[in-house]
Amino acid sequence: MKTMADVKTNKLTLVQAVTDGLRTMMKEHDDVLVLGEDVGKNGGVFRATDGLVDEFGEDRIVDTPLAEAGIIGTSIGLAINGFRPVAEMQFLGFIYPAYEQIMTHASRIRTRTMSRFNVPMVIRAPYGAGIRAPEIHSDSVEALFTHMPGIKVVVPSNPYDAKGLLIASIEDPDPVLFMEPMRSYRSIKSDVPEEKYTVELGKGAKVTEGDDVTVIAWGNMVAVAQKAVEKIEKEQGVSCELLDLRTLYPLDKDIIAESVMKTGRAVIVHEAPSTGGVGNDVLSIINDNAFLYLRAPVEKVAGFDTPIPFFSLEEDYLPTPDRVLKSIENVVTF
Amino acid sequence: MVEVKLHDVGEGMTEGEISEFLVQVGDQVKIDQPLVEVQTDKVSAELPSPVAGTVKEIRAEIGEVVTVGTTVLVLEKEGASVDNDEQPEGQPKEKSALGQTKVQMKISRHQPTKNTHRVLATPYTRRIALENRVDIEKITGTGPAGRVMDDDVYRFVKGEQEAPAASVAAEPVVEKDTASKESTLPQTPAKTIPYRGRRKQIGTKMTHSLQTIPHVTHFDEVDVTNVLALREELKAEQGESGSTVSVAAFFIKALAITLKDFPIFNAILNEEKQEIQLQDAYNIGLAADTDEGLIVPVVKSADQKSITEIHTEMKRVMKLAKENKLSKADLTGGTFTVSNVGPLGSVGATPIINHPEVALIAFHKTKKMPVVRNDEIVIRSVMNLSMSFDHRVADGAAAVAFTNRFAELIENPTKMMLEMV
Repeated sequence: MKTMADVKTNKLTLVQAVTDGLRTMMKEHDDVLVLGEDVGKNGGVFRATDGLVDEFGEDRIVDTPLAEAGIIGTSIGLAINGFRPVAEMQFLGFIYPAYEQIMTHASRIRTRTMSRFNVPMVIRAPYGAGIRAPEIHSDSVEALFTHMPGIKVVVPSNPYDAKGLLIASIEDPDPVLFMEPMRSYRSIKSDVPEEKYTVELGKGAKVTEGDDVTVIAWGNMVAVAQKAVEKIEKEQGVSCELLDLRTLYPLDKDIIAESVMKTGRAVIVHEAPSTGGVGNDVLSIINDNAFLYLRAPVEKVAGFDTPIPFFSLEEDYLPTPDRVLKSIENVVTF
Repeated sequence: MVEVKLHDVGEGMTEGEISEFLVQVGDQVKIDQPLVEVQTDKVSAELPSPVAGTVKEIRAEIGEVVTVGTTVLVLEKEGASVDNDEQPEGQPKEKSALGQTKVQMKISRHQPTKNTHRVLATPYTRRIALENRVDIEKITGTGPAGRVMDDDVYRFVKGEQEAPAASVAAEPVVEKDTASKESTLPQTPAKTIPYRGRRKQIGTKMTHSLQTIPHVTHFDEVDVTNVLALREELKAEQGESGSTVSVAAFFIKALAITLKDFPIFNAILNEEKQEIQLQDAYNIGLAADTDEGLIVPVVKSADQKSITEIHTEMKRVMKLAKENKLSKADLTGGTFTVSNVGPLGSVGATPIINHPEVALIAFHKTKKMPVVRNDEIVIRSVMNLSMSFDHRVADGAAAVAFTNRFAELIENPTKMMLEMV
């Protein structure tokens, strides 16, 4: 097995890892193309496609009109006809006009045609609060898509996973919503191999091993949870197992069940509103698989059931390390 | 006459069990007055009277499972001198359709057991209880707001469960389950001792024993080859017509002899009087595994009985034990107890003393083993035994001497001859 020491790596931010993943796949496969608003000359609103147009030309890095339904509809057509489009939504919160295309076509064509056609497309969408964006830009609506059979939902939390998961998503024969946590775009740098590699979809990861409580998060909340976990381990000796789910549909039931069966306690952290959130699916997995191992009710630290507020209140909306820590305390002292 | 039939009191039920009649033959009943209580899988429901009148006939028995449509009870309609006005199950159904059902449903999740209460406990704790097969509702919690904690379950298990398991290692877990199911089934009371009751008694007794007596158990092994050979010899002699004397009868005889040599183990500690009372009767209790649980009938005056007589007496009490027909005399007066788990298997246990006795011995499985005799390896039948004794009354050395003497007799059955009465 190769280790990181054997491969050439670069220190990259998460958004640079995304660019690297796109470049890697575009070099390797002529059928991969990128389309979206300002992805070409401008290099994307977050510079995720920076420089790609010079490298691969306007035929493969396509600036589109400001029409999300059009971008997705075009991508679906391209995908059915042998391309592997990677569509960019500038913000996940802009995806609503395209929702109909995704729901009624992208996610269903395989079923509708009894697998005669499939839709190998990826929708990249920055999401999440904490960067002081205006209304709608910060939405974390993963649950709208996990509730839609036929589309995978992937959320990396670090640069290494971002590249590996993006490549796996582009290679996947079915539509994938690839959510990029905006707040983590440039806040973390880590070693990313130069070569092509994949991180398997549908598999969560153990960020830290622990015995007393399982903390389950994804996206930017992994970093938030990690702060809480480190603090409570250091100050109170509570041993936490932090899971990064990485794929929200399909969920990695095994990693959740095994961990909670081991620790007997769980705290779920997500920034989306609590009601109808993916946290509830995690709860249901715990209920189905690890109920008799629970030593305390599972706690959920989530956003509130409101639209994400303007920036003066944004930090109050988002789960903080302190809120996570409080919940960990609750479950270990129940 | 109006026939009251069992109708569907819940969705799609096909049968129900008559749990109680609320009226007697001859009773005057009003319309909608509850007549009979029926227990189905899910609910306990009362069937109301469709008419006002007099109860003429009761056609089902308590505990009987009747199918929907069966006539349970016959009423004479008030004021109806002679009519054949049959009111089948239609009436309550019609009412039901009008949303005026008078069937009073009492949702009962369990069969009614009076002393159950909802307990607070985490699923994890409940799992511990489940795995140890204890009813968590019987445990008093020491946690916040009376929550049952893991330790409470462990303590409860120690107190009430280890006891029977150890002394009769005999109780296969599956059987307990069956028993507990049976106890909730309708049975005619004359034959049944409620499962809970027996278990509870065992539990209380064992807890008391374990909590008051400082138990010590030592293990030994006995070569039973000769006694088995002797038994075979006797069996051959008796021919097919003769009854075979069990090996256990030999053990009991040997024990009676041994107890005479070590009377300290044939004693009762009277804590009130601060006396160790050596007994002059040699009454050997036999831990018997019955469907309802552990019970200890007593073979009286084993020292004065021949091995055949002991065998016959053992058979008698064991049979009664299985049938649950032991008399009080058969159950009392023991001075020493034996738990013969060998036939069921097991190589060792820490048997719990039958309070207020001083000692208890458990016989385990006999295995053929290579052993050294006269510097040669030979195959012998070897049985393990575990002896628990009250360390307040006796010491280890005495107990070891006791089992040594017992082994000596069993290993040389002819020696027993010398001791026969």
